[in-house]
Amino acid sequence: MGSNEKSTIELRHIVKYYGDFRASDDVSLTIEGGRLVALLGPSGSGKTTILRMIAGLEHPDGGEILIDGQVVNDIPGSERGIGFVFQSYALFRYLTVYENIAFGLRLKKWPEKKIRERVFELLKLIGCEGLEKRYPGQLSGGQRQRVAFARALAPSPKILLLDEPFAAIDAKIRLELRSWLKEMITKLGITSIFVTHDQDEAIEVADDIVVTNHGRIEQVGTATELYTKPATPFVVQFIGHSTPIRNFTEFRSFFKGQENEIGILRPEYVEVKKITEVVRYSNSADIGYVRDIIFRGSNLEIKVDIHGNTISAIRSINEEPLEIGEKVWVFIYRMFVIDDRKVELRENASLREDSLVI
Amino acid sequence: MADTKKVAVVHEGKAGRRIAIGACVVFLVIFLVLPLVYILAVAFSDGWLGYKKAVTDEYAVKATLLTLLATVVALAINTLMGLCAAWAVTKFSFRGKKILTTLIDLPVTVSPVIAGLIYVLTFGRQSFLYPYLEKAGIKIIFAVPGIILATVFVTFPFIFRELVPVLTAEGTDEEEAAALMGASFFTIFRKVTFPHMKWALLYGMVLCTARAMGEFGAVSVLSGHLRGKTNTLPLYIELLYQGYDFTGAFACSSILMIFAIIVLILRSALEARGKTEKNV
Amino acid sequence: MSRRTNSHKYRSVIPGFGLTFGITIAILSLVVLIPLCSLVVFTAQLSFPEFIQTVTNARVRSSYFVSISTALIASLINAGMGLLLAWVLVRYDFRGKKIIDGMIELPFALPTAVAGISLTHLTTTNGWIGSIFYRFFGIRIAYTRFGITIALIFIGIPFVVRSVQPVLEKVDKECEEAAGLLGASHWTTFRRVIFPELTPALISGFTMAFARSIGEYGSVVFIAGNTPYKTEIAPLLIMSQLQEYDYASATSIALVMLVIAFLILTANAFAQSMVSKRVSNLA
Repeated sequence: MGSNEKSTIELRHIVKYYGDFRASDDVSLTIEGGRLVALLGPSGSGKTTILRMIAGLEHPDGGEILIDGQVVNDIPGSERGIGFVFQSYALFRYLTVYENIAFGLRLKKWPEKKIRERVFELLKLIGCEGLEKRYPGQLSGGQRQRVAFARALAPSPKILLLDEPFAAIDAKIRLELRSWLKEMITKLGITSIFVTHDQDEAIEVADDIVVTNHGRIEQVGTATELYTKPATPFVVQFIGHSTPIRNFTEFRSFFKGQENEIGILRPEYVEVKKITEVVRYSNSADIGYVRDIIFRGSNLEIKVDIHGNTISAIRSINEEPLEIGEKVWVFIYRMFVIDDRKVELRENASLREDSLVI
Repeated sequence: MADTKKVAVVHEGKAGRRIAIGACVVFLVIFLVLPLVYILAVAFSDGWLGYKKAVTDEYAVKATLLTLLATVVALAINTLMGLCAAWAVTKFSFRGKKILTTLIDLPVTVSPVIAGLIYVLTFGRQSFLYPYLEKAGIKIIFAVPGIILATVFVTFPFIFRELVPVLTAEGTDEEEAAALMGASFFTIFRKVTFPHMKWALLYGMVLCTARAMGEFGAVSVLSGHLRGKTNTLPLYIELLYQGYDFTGAFACSSILMIFAIIVLILRSALEARGKTEKNV
Repeated sequence: MSRRTNSHKYRSVIPGFGLTFGITIAILSLVVLIPLCSLVVFTAQLSFPEFIQTVTNARVRSSYFVSISTALIASLINAGMGLLLAWVLVRYDFRGKKIIDGMIELPFALPTAVAGISLTHLTTTNGWIGSIFYRFFGIRIAYTRFGITIALIFIGIPFVVRSVQPVLEKVDKECEEAAGLLGASHWTTFRRVIFPELTPALISGFTMAFARSIGEYGSVVFIAGNTPYKTEIAPLLIMSQLQEYDYASATSIALVMLVIAFLILTANAFAQSMVSKRVSNLA
């Protein structure tokens, strides 16, 4: 199913304005054939604009869009070989599921018999057999999304674009659909881009993640790359559950620091121990007080007050329980230190000394 | 449902409720029902035969036909304009949209007499267009084209106004989706957009018909009041009334009144239909 | 590749803009723009002193006064009755409610001339209603300003009801209940919680009724009696100037009326923006 050749997409110095608002600011990006890419960013960061420009729904004010090496700026969206799934699904409310999926095929003047075959093939693929006579209003949210997906795929596009595909769905079904969609797209091997503001979604579904902010691309990479090697201060703060620490030099073993530097701490870099427990680096651990303990299912999130900040740490359920108000050791393995432009990963000084000793 | 109503905090007590409903009913009976009853009472004051004679009078029939002609033309033009303008305004963003909407809405905020006046100024003897029109043998004011133009003018935004909210609420996603699959304008319009607005369109057409049939002021200015030629039904009624033929005037009024009642019934039915359709 | 050269600045993937916009502009030009231009052209030819003389003439001034005062009174009455009607239609369930709801638009559907002759006949001194008023109170209705006001009340009924009704339907029941639970009386709840929400709709319904009433002709011309200085309304004066082919006077009077209508609509827009500003400041 789908075409065998896998399309590449390239954006070159794309600029797009809405009035005075700069939605895309010199966006350059290459997407390899067959990849499943997430455009991730806060709302208003220009991710949907990029998607709509690739689809031909919007037109860049400057720069070039290439599909398979061909500039498509002046080719109408309907001739770019794309399938588009709208955030609202945009199913034709007055046409049946069958007619919705058949819509693009009829426009291509397919013979009725082939249309029928294709529609039922897709209905089977999305697991919606027997729903062909229903109207979109009679479907559940998840079914609508699947039908929208099938409709976009019907004319065998080279590229699939999805705008916030899970935004309109209940949290529970969303998780189910995420893995379904990933499986589906991987099976088809079609180059796909989807927009999301939810990092968990991007991390779970996408091969590559493009982080956007203020109309610019901050970083492109796999989830692991974004996590371990964030390229910009924005990515550090946006990815993961980070807490900014302004006075990070007050923490033991993080004494250096310029005026405008901020420490960014993630829960997984923090270890909390009872005062009675053995602490390896006791001379570089700080004293904190447990403010709150939140049960997260597989583990506990411990919120600790320390040097005027409240930071989060992860603690295993199997460890000795803590109490609220309890005085604890807090050891920080590493933190990101950012200023306006650069990112630096700073290790706890005692870790290095220790490794020297060993 | 009944229970939640009882729980509702604002309930004014039975007396307040009765007084409020009573006041409304009295007000509406005096202002709306009584005039209707009165029309029928006078129309039939000379019995059925007198009524029949009045409404089948040669001039009455001609006036009715002219009214229908003006109504049909106004309906056709305003439907075309309404559909096009609503499409352009709701599916695209362009500069000057607000001005365009204001201009389309303008005719109903202008006094009908002034509407007539501006056509007289445009096509009348003092207009720079007049010599050309005369040479071409086209007579607009004090003739049928003037009456039709005036009718189009006073009903201009009715259909447009009904379509805009429906199309705005529908958004542009469905059209974009269809266009991305390569659908043409007429395909998108017919298959995707039209089903959304069919009830609103019909509703607008009903309103347009009602107003077109009854227009008096603007038509009065532009008509030469020629019996059997440029008299619409409302003008003919005026003529009869001023000739003290009250039975005739009210008999002809009853025709328009029946149309008005049909319009109201259609309106309620369409509104109910539109509402249930939205809930599907 | 040639697309870019003739591309529209606001081009969209949705087709049909050129066609629909073109047809709209063509019809709009023929029906509205060209006639409006000719009004402007004709106005430019008027001599200013003559214009002033025409519109400040005592008879013209009194016709403005009659038009505005009767329209104002009628619209105020309609604002009150419209609010009550909307309230009754939204908040109460009773038999015949659907019929009343359907009837509200009658003044809109019934030709104004038909309403005019019917109301006139009902209110003459020997009409069904007029005779009662004349015999018991010595009041004449038809052929007085009172009569004009009655006709204008008739045509203005739908405006306030139809603009308040949908807003009232949406008034947050929870706000109301919260006020009630805080101990507010029914009257206080209405005055402090519901009424402010209705104000914009009430104002716009009132202004629409007012603007319509000032220009109304068909229903008024029969009941007014058209006595100069007493019951002659401005639209009628325009009409009589036209019948004497005095286009300059007719246009002058019409221009002042257009300015008045424009002022009313601007005042409404201003009031609406004031109200919405107040609400957004609160939020």
